[in-house]
Amino acid sequence: MKILIADDEPISLRMLEKTLRRAGYDVVAVKDGRAAAKELCDPEGPRIALLDWIMPELDGPAVCRQVRLRRGQRHIHLVLLTSKNSKQDVVEGLESGADDYLTKPFDPEELKARLHTGQRILQLEDSLLEAREEMRYKATHDSLTSLLNRGTIMELLARELVRTRREKRCTLVVLGDVDHFKLVNDTYGHPVGDEVLREVARRLLASVRSYDFVGRYGGEEFLLVLNNCDASMAMARAEQIRNEICRLPITSTQGPLSISLSLGVFSACGDESETVEDVLSRVDRALYTAKDAGRNCCRLA
Amino acid sequence: MDPEYASLEKAVNLPDLLARVEDDRELLNDLLEMFQTELPGHLEALQESITTGELSVTAKAAHAIKGMLANLSMEKGATLAATVEAAARNGDIQTVKSTFIVFEQETASLSAAVDAFMAGK
Repeated sequence: MKILIADDEPISLRMLEKTLRRAGYDVVAVKDGRAAAKELCDPEGPRIALLDWIMPELDGPAVCRQVRLRRGQRHIHLVLLTSKNSKQDVVEGLESGADDYLTKPFDPEELKARLHTGQRILQLEDSLLEAREEMRYKATHDSLTSLLNRGTIMELLARELVRTRREKRCTLVVLGDVDHFKLVNDTYGHPVGDEVLREVARRLLASVRSYDFVGRYGGEEFLLVLNNCDASMAMARAEQIRNEICRLPITSTQGPLSISLSLGVFSACGDESETVEDVLSRVDRALYTAKDAGRNCCRLA
Repeated sequence: MDPEYASLEKAVNLPDLLARVEDDRELLNDLLEMFQTELPGHLEALQESITTGELSVTAKAAHAIKGMLANLSMEKGATLAATVEAAARNGDIQTVKSTFIVFEQETASLSAAVDAFMAGK
């Protein structure tokens, strides 16, 4: 693990560096407070630090205060290591934002044990962030296809429509429905139907840009929001997507299946009437026109 | 303790220092060499601040030497430096001056002990 040590006293610095390297740390050593703050405020910088109190440029407590000003970033475990040892100093040091306080001369075993405590806190934070991220993912994604779920794609659609109005550009909204999906389920069973949905989702994602949005709107319905997409290109773009789905049969556990998608297409270009409900209603009608026209085709709203 | 450490043992709390460097003799030698290099500059800064009567500078200089000596388990020297630092913070120039005389003698004997140790290796 990377650790920062900041001390302007060469003997102390050398001693700490050797002790910490021996303990397996990847040591970054600096000789003044400003350099320490710069390292610690770097998103890729060390997440654990030993800071002397009295240093040129910025003292240890000032480094702590500066590091704590960062918002929304991961915790950095700050330890003041100083020969200032009055109760008042300890209180002032901790109140500046330090997590721990050690007095010089340090005892190597105590120092390592305290740093282990810091590492445990950082690991706890990591696991909490990981759990939060997992919960956020589950709350926003469809568990079968891993696409955005209905709630999330609707929110994104609303946001993109506002942006479209603000930036005076067009957003392409596409609602796709897998053709004869009920027949797939009835003929091969629901597990194969799930395989089809997963593969359609994968192909849809592969057919759009990294900053476009694809969500599972309903059972076998998918909603795509392609921002900054010229209205004159709407049908051509939708055709590309449709082709991507039907170009090759889907390989399922029951053998290859020819699958196609019917698509309702609408290009929203910032008109005040283009609310989420209005846009969805338009693409829905266009989708049914495509179904009526024989499926595996696109219709513009 | 090895005989070569005898001269050092008189000036330094050697078991304490060896524990701090985790018995790394090579590191110990490096640190003592650094001590010999760093000490004159520290003493000069301290002396100059006392001569000019800038006690805030004296306090900082004494604090820096105190840390260095404490790290090297030179306990008597570290205690004297702490006395100079505290007196400087309290504006007590008399104590600063009188303690500095004793402190200079202590650092001279520390330096001599380190020299003897280096020569005897």
